[in-house]
Amino acid sequence: MDFGFSSEQQDIRQLARQILGEQVSAESLKPYDEYATVRFDADLWRTLGQAGLTAIPVSASEGGGGFGFMELALLLEEVGRSIAPVPMLSHCVGGLMVLQRFADSALKQRLLAPAVAGDVLLGAAVLEAGNENPADPRLTRAEVTAEGLRLNGTKQAVPFARQADYLLVAARHGEEVAVCFVDTRAPGVTLEDCQSTAFEPQAHLVLENVEVAAPWVLAATGGAAIMDWLAERLSAAHCAHQLGVADAAMRMAATYTSERQQFGVPVATFQAVGHRMANCYIDIECLRLATYQACSLLHDECEAGVETHIAKIWAGDTGHRVSYATQHVHGGMGIDRDYSLWRYCLWLRHNEMTLGGSSVHLAELGRRLAAGEGLFA
Amino acid sequence: MKIQFTPEQLALRDELRQYFRTLMTPELRAECERDMGEGGGPLWREALRQMGRDGWIGLGWPQALGGRGLTPLEQFIFVEEVMRAGYPFPFLTTESVGPMLAEHGNAWIQREIVPKILAGELLIAIGYSEPGAGTDLANLKTRAERDGDDWVINGQKMWTSLAHFCDYTWLAVRTDPEAAKKHKGISMFLVPNADPGWSCTPVNTLGGVRTNATYYDNIRVSDDHRVGELHGGWKLITGQLNRERLSLINFGPSAELFNATVRWARDTELPAGGRVIDAPWVQMNLARCRAAIECMKLIVYKQSWAMTEGSLDMADASAAKVYGSETFIELYRALGEIVGQAGLLRDGAGGDSARRLERLYRTASIITFGGGTNEIQRDIISAAGLWMPRASR
Repeated sequence: MDFGFSSEQQDIRQLARQILGEQVSAESLKPYDEYATVRFDADLWRTLGQAGLTAIPVSASEGGGGFGFMELALLLEEVGRSIAPVPMLSHCVGGLMVLQRFADSALKQRLLAPAVAGDVLLGAAVLEAGNENPADPRLTRAEVTAEGLRLNGTKQAVPFARQADYLLVAARHGEEVAVCFVDTRAPGVTLEDCQSTAFEPQAHLVLENVEVAAPWVLAATGGAAIMDWLAERLSAAHCAHQLGVADAAMRMAATYTSERQQFGVPVATFQAVGHRMANCYIDIECLRLATYQACSLLHDECEAGVETHIAKIWAGDTGHRVSYATQHVHGGMGIDRDYSLWRYCLWLRHNEMTLGGSSVHLAELGRRLAAGEGLFA
Repeated sequence: MKIQFTPEQLALRDELRQYFRTLMTPELRAECERDMGEGGGPLWREALRQMGRDGWIGLGWPQALGGRGLTPLEQFIFVEEVMRAGYPFPFLTTESVGPMLAEHGNAWIQREIVPKILAGELLIAIGYSEPGAGTDLANLKTRAERDGDDWVINGQKMWTSLAHFCDYTWLAVRTDPEAAKKHKGISMFLVPNADPGWSCTPVNTLGGVRTNATYYDNIRVSDDHRVGELHGGWKLITGQLNRERLSLINFGPSAELFNATVRWARDTELPAGGRVIDAPWVQMNLARCRAAIECMKLIVYKQSWAMTEGSLDMADASAAKVYGSETFIELYRALGEIVGQAGLLRDGAGGDSARRLERLYRTASIITFGGGTNEIQRDIISAAGLWMPRASR
């Protein structure tokens, strides 16, 4: 039982906090509001790459940082704390980690090596309209051909789709699920930009008779297991990001109410305000512990289905409650676009809803309990 | 970061479960039930001495004090398991006052009191609150006055729980009425309940649990009975309360109750057909409870780890107390909804979960204000955890 961080983990947090603290600010985020410019800071992404942070979960023998999912989660927490405009989550979890775990050496050579080097950006297209289960594609179909796969269908709201070179796609054929990487410039691929609540660059991915050659296919059959593996890690990664966002919002509110004076005293001295903040503190501690537990289990490739659902339930509930509590104690400042809290509130909502809100995960957890899983040891 | 027990710790847990299956005889269980889960009966006392003889109570205590020298985590595993087994373990004595006595007690206390705690032979009640001193504890009036080499104690305490079967009272008294700040004039004493000047009357509560008013009439004790520095009692009170707040939050019994309710809902057929657990709202209630208890578990694990590291954080101890105490109440409600009408039957006709839920729901409120009311805990969290300024009081 160890709730502490190793010295390497502390170094990673420290380095990330330093770079992100220096290069991300309310001023630097302003140009991305309302999609005025694409919310992707290429300079920052390069700096993070040069610092070795964009390939943290890839083994050292393959040119990566030689760390695992826990270290990536700590990094994502820092990305959340700064709401940095970088594709860390989709590239690292949806791309690098999947390749590292499931690709053969040829595909690793072809895709993982340049991605680690920073020459190729990866992502994952996991959602479909009305279908948030990445392992059960319904609107994307595959045909198995002599050369590989032919894909037709649509994936919804793919993060950084236009910036990515290759996207992970799962498609159904019969009762089977195939998983492959799709070149975003391949014939038959169309990207339709969409606008999302937190201004993340997203596009719908439309596939019309897209031919995917065999070397780019991770699994022609049995891909649901890969996507389940990925879905848990994407879910936990959003929890880690949420943790950083929520903690930053809470500390912003604590600082603001400690300085803001009314009736001649700081509003933080009103017990009603202090107690609302104490509730945030408790919620965030629960999110933190549930997230670290899920991430450390996933790091060790342990069974963590129940723990991941629980973390995502807390990510949803905590995100919702912290967003409204911090806005409220700020008064008008919380929603004023000249102050920085409002962007955090958008990201709290983004992380709450992406890959399923609390009720979805509660229902799934309840189903597992009814099936006899998930009792306390 | 590794939130898993070692194989040795898991083996210890299994050993303890086996141990308590033997220790918890039907007769002992019935006696504990009769005593409203508070203990105090003869079988209960004998079982405690047995645990002492078998070396369990001091599992995580230093060997120099008669313990077995393992860490607070092993101690925590023991306490979780003893509570989970349904034994009302006197954790206030063993886990909160005991460690304070071990740390701050004089030679007499180290020699005469501490070993008996670890042997399961000595129980201590806590005398803090008074008619005029509750949340504002430093306002207490009970006093100890010097008389030669002795002290003479006079006053009254409220809510002195368990005192009617305890051997001593860990008593907060005023020793310096002139102190500029009222919390600077308080000292701690260990007062023998067998003294003729000590008396107690029952206070009966909603849940059926008995607590007490206790009276201190010219009780004469030697200076050996004073704990820690003269007028330095406040630090011992807050230190003890930090430990008490942790030991109040046991996730073991909640996990056990949850498991039992899930099993019951899976096994119970409704007259109209289908199982209790097939209803979507039952699954949602259970999922909410599962997610809530998981964080209770993680919070207490983290606190035990922090104690092992010697880095127990005040805000986190208060957060554990608030979260745990308020979660208990919600759990009993949500699980009670599942067992339904049977959860109102006191006689146990509705099954074991229902019977426990009937009682727990009535007794749950005490922890939201006992051990330091949750409003004060939230004050501590916002000040110590978030550095927010506090109103002066």
